[in-house]
Amino acid sequence: MPSTQEDPLLTSARREMIVTLCIWLIAMIWTIGVSVTWGYGRDPATLKYVLGFPDWIFWGVIVPWATSTVVSAVFAMGFMQDAPLGDEEELRVDS
Amino acid sequence: MLLAVADHGYTVIVVLMVFLAASVWLGTMAQRTLEKKKFLEGFLLGNRGLGAWTLALTATVQSGGTFMGVPSLVYSHGWVVALWISSYMVVPLTGFAMVGKRVAQLSRRTGALTVPDLFRERFNDARVGVLASLLIIFFLSFTMFAQFKAGATIMKLAWPGSGPMVLSEDIIVQPAKDVPAKKGLDYKYLIGLLVFSITVVGYTMIGGFLASVWTDLFQSVLMVIGVMVLLCLALPEAGGLQHATEAGIAATGPKFAQGPGFHPDGRSFLTPGLAISMFFLWIYSGFASPASMIRVMAAHNTEVIRKSITLLSVYNCFIYIPIIMIAICGREMFPTLKQPDEIIPTMAMHLTREIPGGSLLTALILAAPFGAIMASVSCFVLVIASGLVQDFYIRFLHPHASETEIRRATRVAVLLVGIAGVIAALNPPTYLQALIVFSGSAGAAAFVTPALMTCYWRRATAPGVLSAMGAGFAVHLSLYGIGWIHNWALSFGEGATGLPRLIVDSLGPDLMLGTASAFRPYFLMGLDPVLWAMLASAVAGVMVSLISKPPTEEHLQRIYDGPARLVTGAASPA
Repeated sequence: MPSTQEDPLLTSARREMIVTLCIWLIAMIWTIGVSVTWGYGRDPATLKYVLGFPDWIFWGVIVPWATSTVVSAVFAMGFMQDAPLGDEEELRVDS
Repeated sequence: MLLAVADHGYTVIVVLMVFLAASVWLGTMAQRTLEKKKFLEGFLLGNRGLGAWTLALTATVQSGGTFMGVPSLVYSHGWVVALWISSYMVVPLTGFAMVGKRVAQLSRRTGALTVPDLFRERFNDARVGVLASLLIIFFLSFTMFAQFKAGATIMKLAWPGSGPMVLSEDIIVQPAKDVPAKKGLDYKYLIGLLVFSITVVGYTMIGGFLASVWTDLFQSVLMVIGVMVLLCLALPEAGGLQHATEAGIAATGPKFAQGPGFHPDGRSFLTPGLAISMFFLWIYSGFASPASMIRVMAAHNTEVIRKSITLLSVYNCFIYIPIIMIAICGREMFPTLKQPDEIIPTMAMHLTREIPGGSLLTALILAAPFGAIMASVSCFVLVIASGLVQDFYIRFLHPHASETEIRRATRVAVLLVGIAGVIAALNPPTYLQALIVFSGSAGAAAFVTPALMTCYWRRATAPGVLSAMGAGFAVHLSLYGIGWIHNWALSFGEGATGLPRLIVDSLGPDLMLGTASAFRPYFLMGLDPVLWAMLASAVAGVMVSLISKPPTEEHLQRIYDGPARLVTGAASPA
């Protein structure tokens, strides 16, 4: 019964959704992990600055932000797949 | 300090008028693309022809109010706000990759033009569409009313001699002693409101979706230019970021550069639990918001969606990180502002005072949020009006409406929604700001599960999606309700007796989280209500789907299976 075959766009979209969720989870663990460990109740006397940012902000927000931007671009341009979106008329003719 | 920002002459009002004129022009341009034949598809979705730039810079960019709120928060609470907003690092990715491709495909396959349309087609049940439509109209209305008011307020303040221009309400309403306390209608505000509303509703009515999108693109570009200029001027003035941070610590104490952030009365602005909540809130309210979903529906193809992810990721980097830096510099330059909302206008006026053409530059920087407000109003008016037409007029009032009648009904609906906005802005509800925060996150709570179910889950049923929407909304509403009662009880203080005592005993003491508003919700286990509401929505959606009758295979094939042509032929994706 060939008609039960899943739409290829659905298959790729679901895979991309799962990878996206993983990226989001890693970003959250990194950002909140680093910031909460180093930044909460931090003694200002020990505070160092990286490019003018407090060190925990630099490693906990700025660096993951830059990384996410690169990862998003690589994901979108290298991993995500194109598929025809189809349109209403096309489908009506087929079915 | 205030001398520098005393007056801004006629420049600001002129720039705002140019803004309005440009938008009307964009509206008439958009109208030319509307075909006679497929009016609704053109008017509501721009013939599904959005390119990468228009999609990226308009789909998930926040409304003007939110955007201008960030600097004010940084100024008040310090560096921790960077963590508060940090999930924007993945918003472009999640915004388009979670459901984007499927929403774009399904809306074409089913002919859906709105989010409720899409849900209804997937679940083959009119009740789903009506409930979704009602919830959307409910959530968006508050936000829309507030944007009307903000637009009118900016117009009013832009008049020469109105003092520093800010988005805050508090300094506007400062009745002089000899003015009677009963507030009459302020004619400047009234004129501002009328000019603003007629323009925005006008160009939305003429040009529809594309008019809204093009204004949005226009202001997004202006915004990034304004932010970059301001950053370049502010950093040297404040003596660099490190010096500005140290000055901030000196002014407020160590919490300016550590978690959970500075707060004058000792509240924790961002506990770890709330930081996690924000990482959920921005992500899920982003991709599941109706305003962002209809823009994805309008994407031209999947390549556009992919390019948009890249573009928006880079754009967000150049907007949010600089704006945090600017506000930190602001604390050094103006250590004791009474109204944190004034920080950006104050800095803009101060920094450009010695530059030739500086007042024009200031005006442009200040006009960016005005553009954002116009774009949001236009988008909300359109989404609400499309709901009225698609889900109520065509569904119930006039099922066999002709093209001409639909066209007329759509424009009348836009007009009606606009008039409602004006009336609400004349006499806004008292706790408007609280209602906006509430409805923004309530949208995430109610629509995330339905959106995922629609796109990916064959077994999801109509009763399931109805309970998912209902449960998310109900839990969210209850936690806000409990928070309100809790705050009422806490207001009796230590010596409370009777009912307030009982409430405080059962709900516990004030957790000292978040902001000090009377409308803060009850943070169950220190987490934002949106988390609990999303959880409830997911559980309800899955459980009810599983115990209800599965949808028919015939219907599912249309949604989840490849077109017959693809199945029999070469079924390889690109």
